[in-house]
Amino acid sequence: MTHIDRRTFIKAAGVTGAAAAIGIPAFIPRIGEAADNIKIGVVDPSTGTYAAVGGNELNGFNMALDMWNKRGGVLGRKIELAIEDDGSDAGVASQKARKLVNQDKCVALMGTVSSASSLSVSNAAHDMGILFVDSGGHSDDVTGKNCNWNTFRTCHSTWMETHATGFTLGKKFGKKWYLITPDYAFGHALETGYKDVLAKIGGTIVGNDQTPLGTADFSPYLTKVLAAKPDVLIVLVQGDDYTNCLKQAGSFGLLKKLPVGGPQVELEPVLALPPAARGGFWGVEWYYKSDKVLGRSNKLAHAFVDEYTKRFNTPPTARSCFGYVSLDRMLTAMADAKTTDSPKVARAMEGVKFSTIFDGQAYYRKEDHQLMWPMWTAEIRENGPGGDKYDLFDIVEAQPADSIEQSVAEKAKVCKMEYPS
Amino acid sequence: MIEHIAPGLFNGLVLGAFYAIVAIGLSLIMNLTGTINMAHGSFMTLAGYLAFALVSSGTSFWFALLVAPLMTVLVGFLVERTLIRPLYNREPFYSLLLTFGLSLIAEEVYHLIWGANGVPFSPPASLGGIINLGFMNFPVYRLFIAAVLIVAIAALALFLTRTRFGLRLRAAVQDSEMIAALGTNTQLLYMINFGLGIFLAGIAGVLAAGMLGLNPTTGNALLMPAFVTVIIGGMGSLFGSIVGGVLIGLTISMTTLYIPAASEVSMYILMAVVLMVRPRGLFGEESVFG
Repeated sequence: MTHIDRRTFIKAAGVTGAAAAIGIPAFIPRIGEAADNIKIGVVDPSTGTYAAVGGNELNGFNMALDMWNKRGGVLGRKIELAIEDDGSDAGVASQKARKLVNQDKCVALMGTVSSASSLSVSNAAHDMGILFVDSGGHSDDVTGKNCNWNTFRTCHSTWMETHATGFTLGKKFGKKWYLITPDYAFGHALETGYKDVLAKIGGTIVGNDQTPLGTADFSPYLTKVLAAKPDVLIVLVQGDDYTNCLKQAGSFGLLKKLPVGGPQVELEPVLALPPAARGGFWGVEWYYKSDKVLGRSNKLAHAFVDEYTKRFNTPPTARSCFGYVSLDRMLTAMADAKTTDSPKVARAMEGVKFSTIFDGQAYYRKEDHQLMWPMWTAEIRENGPGGDKYDLFDIVEAQPADSIEQSVAEKAKVCKMEYPS
Repeated sequence: MIEHIAPGLFNGLVLGAFYAIVAIGLSLIMNLTGTINMAHGSFMTLAGYLAFALVSSGTSFWFALLVAPLMTVLVGFLVERTLIRPLYNREPFYSLLLTFGLSLIAEEVYHLIWGANGVPFSPPASLGGIINLGFMNFPVYRLFIAAVLIVAIAALALFLTRTRFGLRLRAAVQDSEMIAALGTNTQLLYMINFGLGIFLAGIAGVLAAGMLGLNPTTGNALLMPAFVTVIIGGMGSLFGSIVGGVLIGLTISMTTLYIPAASEVSMYILMAVVLMVRPRGLFGEESVFG
């Protein structure tokens, strides 16, 4: 029998750990690639805390892809996606971005869920002079102090999220808040946004726990909450962390004693919660079953929801919307500019008003490339009415983009964009 | 802050029991055959999903708690027989690579069957309340977890020390050639030992699924601390795994109270300290490297 000595064990475990950290190389899903196809690179998590939401972004991309390819593609060429997993690691995301452009010859990039990845891909793309549409990374800096001419952002910014929900949270529940914050760019940006709201309403943060991304056990933080006597528990963590946090908050009896809310909730983690732990007042970026979101007579939106549900057997989520809108607008800009050359496509993307799968018109703001579209607030139901197990959001109202995002003048203080000459 | 210490310690003890039982399962498998089971977390996740499937089809939580680990053991037997047994005579590196690959495949399989999104699995209402311990309110479910784990560890200890099979197991760890020469079917012994380790992982998996979200990667979060526990407690010592587990549970819990950002790294620092002071681990057996 083999005795393992400790050294071999540690060596072996270390090597495996390193291999795991580097990640599994991706596969290119479309076999038989024509040399003439337009290749768009996707960097999104398919492993880790944000795997589920990353997967839905990808579904959104694929919906837009198939729609465009059915129409004959762009500039007479079909489009294909090259997909890489960043596992929500910024270093890996940057590596994959460079690989997609340099090795796989992608003409544009899109994706990311983790704001850390969004920032690193934005920078890498800037170095390479390549268009990048950040579909799912929310931190303000992406269109703020780290803005770039080549980077556009589809999902709402953290400033929009905090200002769409903060004032109502204060009015509804009270001004003493306890925050549970994911300890990276996204979480810190949300904190900053809420601190601005609290300053305006005269509120205070009575507790703020910075939790590492991927925390499984929130009990050390949750046991402290009641002692701080907050009016409301504000949960900033997302993905699997959201599920773990809320589930454990429920088991500690917190949800019965304290209202809960936050700037962003997504359908994916709520579905993974037991019904007793579902509740609270949150910001929602898009929803498949509300006329307040889709617009009552918006045929495109309703067709999108129907087709998506038929194809993937679950309804689309906000992430699906981000994916769809990002690729759809990128390809529209390429068609308008009649080229895939990034600076020209970028110019064709900014400022153009369009209608899509939500109510009203939207546009990517010229000054910072943030998509200006409304946010909605919602209360979460324990169960879907009428047997639809996905219909868990009760949409309250829309918050128009201009009233929740920083003005152009404000943004100009931190964002300085320069196109290549 | 002071008033948080007692709850933190208590939390840490419960967490520690978790790491201990996963570490014991790992240790059992490692001690006898030298197999480093990187798929241990995947077995935990499997048990969680099987429990979810059982409860969804109408059985009670209690039934699932017993049966899901047993079903997982059957899968474990299959894996041991077909994949791991051929590697027994090779260096531990082979089994490590194999089980690592298995864990990757498992994650994708769970993804395919149950989706990347988590599934809602929770303990029954009878375990759902909180109990007032005086210094804190504590979820009944966590107390239940601690109770189950203590019973499991005690049962294992009795099994190993008071039954003939346990005797053979301990003898085989010391010298499996000799015990084979004495007529014991060592292949069967290895397989049952593996099954035992997986059974413990299965119980931990079902319990964890009720406490955390249940998704394809749930078990992985518990695997690394379990490995660190084995190193700290000392390879070759099951008692060491218990002590190591409790130490890590307390360390992580206390660090999270004061420096949350360092909570993950704290167990590695502890490991480094222990290794510097006592390289074989707290209760480990001596080997060439001390």
